[in-house]
Amino acid sequence: MSEPRAAYSPLVRELFERLPHAGDLAPGPGTVVHGEVIALERGAWVRYEARIEDGRVADCAFRAWGCPHTLAAAALVASRMHGRRIDAEAAFDARRLATELDAPAEKLGRLLVVEDALSGMLARALALQST
Amino acid sequence: MPDGVPIYLDYAATAPLDPRVADLMSECLRDPALQGNPASTHAPGRTAAVRVESARGQVARLIGAQPETIVFTSGATESVNLAILGAARAAADGMRHVVTARTEHRAALDACRQLEREGFTVDWLKPGADGSVDPGRVAAALRPDTALVSLMHANNETGVINDIAAVGRICRERGLTFHVDAAQSAGKLPIDVEGTGAALLSFCAHKLGGPKGIGALYLRHRPRPALQPLQFGGGHERGLRAGTLATHQIVGFGLACELARLGLATEPARIRALRERLWTGLQAAAPVAQNGAAEPGLPGILNVRFPGVEGESLLFALEGSLAASSGSACSSATAEPSYVLRALGLSDLAAQASLRLSLGRDTTEEEVDRAARLLVVCVRRLRAALPVGAIEAIA
Repeated sequence: MSEPRAAYSPLVRELFERLPHAGDLAPGPGTVVHGEVIALERGAWVRYEARIEDGRVADCAFRAWGCPHTLAAAALVASRMHGRRIDAEAAFDARRLATELDAPAEKLGRLLVVEDALSGMLARALALQST
Repeated sequence: MPDGVPIYLDYAATAPLDPRVADLMSECLRDPALQGNPASTHAPGRTAAVRVESARGQVARLIGAQPETIVFTSGATESVNLAILGAARAAADGMRHVVTARTEHRAALDACRQLEREGFTVDWLKPGADGSVDPGRVAAALRPDTALVSLMHANNETGVINDIAAVGRICRERGLTFHVDAAQSAGKLPIDVEGTGAALLSFCAHKLGGPKGIGALYLRHRPRPALQPLQFGGGHERGLRAGTLATHQIVGFGLACELARLGLATEPARIRALRERLWTGLQAAAPVAQNGAAEPGLPGILNVRFPGVEGESLLFALEGSLAASSGSACSSATAEPSYVLRALGLSDLAAQASLRLSLGRDTTEEEVDRAARLLVVCVRRLRAALPVGAIEAIA
């Protein structure tokens, strides 16, 4: 085999090639929170980190191990978190991500790891805000 | 992911057709004098038969055999099936035991599973950590009702070489039929089939620069092993493989064998040096490890793993730039971790982080250097995005 078996949409290709927001947060003001899910048996490990200022995400970065769909989903979500209120309705559930990325059904479990890592991070941010 | 022709490092899956072979085959297809059926007794048939028999001699010489020991088939898969199913089914009453290894090619594994369905008992030997099958384990597995021992000469994923001469001696002493799958080694390593003790030996054309769709089964002359054919209709190939012989395929196979034989004096050393150069270049992507023992191994296969790197992402990152394999071509279709690497003790994740790079006739130093640089860049990029501790946890 010389080519991957799964088909990849143009959006997955673009995100995978650039991996925007992969790595660590740049230093800055605000509170840093994180959310992480390790699910090696499902083929994914995703960690989000965000800097929160005035109830909004000032910066967001991710680190991930997984297939191209997992990495692309993690990058897509990180890109769209910027400027979002932490109490806004969740807009990045796994099924929507799968549709947007045109991911095959068998990748849904990995995209759930992305969703759970993000949810964990936002829950921490909300908890910190309430204290 | 740059455009252009990818660097081809997948010779273990198939070697590009040698242009000299392509020319000869084309000539053969067009030559009005070679349009007859080689089985016909008229002049065009006899002319074609002469070319077929000449090619049979070339194929036989590659493994140090006599022409009459060669049966043409459609490829190594058919040869392996004919050898395993044919020999087991032809064995004397009560001989219902077969010995093979877990790291064999799917052609052998699936043929042996078929024998299990037919009531045979199969012993599936586990290789050592180096990937080779200990001849002592083969000896220990033999039983009074053993009908057949089938082992590969060199593994298609790791390149690790089995000591088939030792296994052959054991089988010969006990009068057992020994089949060797030499699909990867024929034309890459010198083979003196008489010295291996093999009663049957399978190989094919497309791994050594010949066309796809043609292979051979060596059948020892004396003592000749009993063999049941798998297909019927015409008595071709001494009744062992019915079907009109494909003159152009056979002629191409013959030339590919001749060229491979002539290259045996220099090519293994050249390709081994390229493999070492590639391995050295990959050290910049450390941690990197080699799967299976490097020696004794096929000169052109390097099976490497990059701890922490997810296999599908690595292949995708290489798409369009490097043609390599995450396992054998046959098992890759299932996207399952390689059963060969798992048999060597690797976890699923470690197996998925592995890549088989296989070099051959047209591989150059420049390609090897470029491939190493490309791999290093891709591996570093994927690792740069990993969560802290992932390399250790996943390895």
